[in-house]
Amino acid sequence: MQRIVCPERDDWRATAESAGFDFHTIDGERYWDERAYYAFTLDEIERGIEEPTAEIDAMCLELVGDAIDDEEYLRRLRIPEAFWPLISESWHRDDASLYGRLDLSFDGRGPAKLLEYNADTPTSIFEAAVFQWTWLEQGIERNIIPKRADQFNSIHERLIDAWKKFVHARHLHLAGMTENEEDAGTLAYLEDTASQAGLETTLIDVEDIGLREDGNFVDLDNRGIELAFKLYPWEWMFHDAFGAKLLSAPTRWIEPPWKAILSNKGILPLLWEMFPNHPNLLPAYFEDDPDAARLGSSFVRKPLYSREGANVALVSAGTTLMEQQGPYGAEGYIRQAFAPLPSFSGQYPVIGSWLIDHTPCGLSIREDETPITGNTSRFLPHAIL
Amino acid sequence: MKRSRRVVLTLMGSAAIGAVSMGLVPRQDCGPGSAPVVGPDGRLYCRPTYRGFGGAPHRLHGHGHGGHHGGG
Repeated sequence: MQRIVCPERDDWRATAESAGFDFHTIDGERYWDERAYYAFTLDEIERGIEEPTAEIDAMCLELVGDAIDDEEYLRRLRIPEAFWPLISESWHRDDASLYGRLDLSFDGRGPAKLLEYNADTPTSIFEAAVFQWTWLEQGIERNIIPKRADQFNSIHERLIDAWKKFVHARHLHLAGMTENEEDAGTLAYLEDTASQAGLETTLIDVEDIGLREDGNFVDLDNRGIELAFKLYPWEWMFHDAFGAKLLSAPTRWIEPPWKAILSNKGILPLLWEMFPNHPNLLPAYFEDDPDAARLGSSFVRKPLYSREGANVALVSAGTTLMEQQGPYGAEGYIRQAFAPLPSFSGQYPVIGSWLIDHTPCGLSIREDETPITGNTSRFLPHAIL
Repeated sequence: MKRSRRVVLTLMGSAAIGAVSMGLVPRQDCGPGSAPVVGPDGRLYCRPTYRGFGGAPHRLHGHGHGGHHGGG
């Protein structure tokens, strides 16, 4: 694994915008950054990332199978009791997952380590699936990268295949916070792939979902919402005004309610409990677990619910070295062993390993000058050389 | 290995300009749905600004579905 500095395409901004990738620059700062790329060998991809990703996903499914009807697990994850039946029913009904992204620490030498699982509302899929691929093709054409270069990336075609599992539904609604540029872009991309799979689609803001007297959720045209993709976390759904109506409404959701278990950072200590010393896991404990003392005074502290690195803190020798501010933490914290991210020219990359319908199929890399990857971290492309 | 793949968009970008409205809401440190406000002590706090799932009361019982309001 190497970080290779390279020239950027002089027209990449126009190319991005013509593809609908408008959030390539955020608050005047680069989000998409092709002034360098990460290069991997095929072996690093296949044995270092692809195989562990499949194995971690299998472990996660085993964990859900154990936790789904177990009061003790659900309480430890602070999942509101009122929603246990919704979560359990979706699992036993085999409601399908579309996608997820594992965040891994990987340096090309030792085993990849799971930092967390973005199981419910992962973003950055458009840039991983499409724009990163465009960079590879144009980079080869323009002699920016070697002609032999390839990429671990079949996200786009696997998404279309995965959507085909849902074509029994008459219509797919895609709901999210549509005024958020990045979320709107993610929804637009997923809508595109769903449409290519043959689904009729409607985009809707979560706020605009209505409720009919017959208990059906409806869109702005009063059309019943039979199947909905939501780019909106389950824990927010549970606490919002219509949360209590989820139990009786017939809508099927993507990601399904059972993903509320896997999007919780509490799975990190639970996985460590179930699979102790697994090479792709880091030691982790709930903060109120006396065994957390095994980590000593240096660890990473994460809220059970958190996104984009918010409220994550690095604690070293009992002192908080670095903390991302944010609104999370009310439900409690976990502690995870500190696994320093590798440094490449002073940059810290985190590997995002994508699963579509449980198949590992692509990479995204977020890079930051600090060891906490947050919402200002830059997206760099990758190649297999 | 996978160089023969075709990645085609049919709705996004120039394939269908305006297929989705991409707002120009600046990213904020509070995360989606919250905005920084100055508290009584002069420090910044995150306060929810998004009404969320079921947060638009006039949508209850199916009334008022005639027009799109955009988000929070």
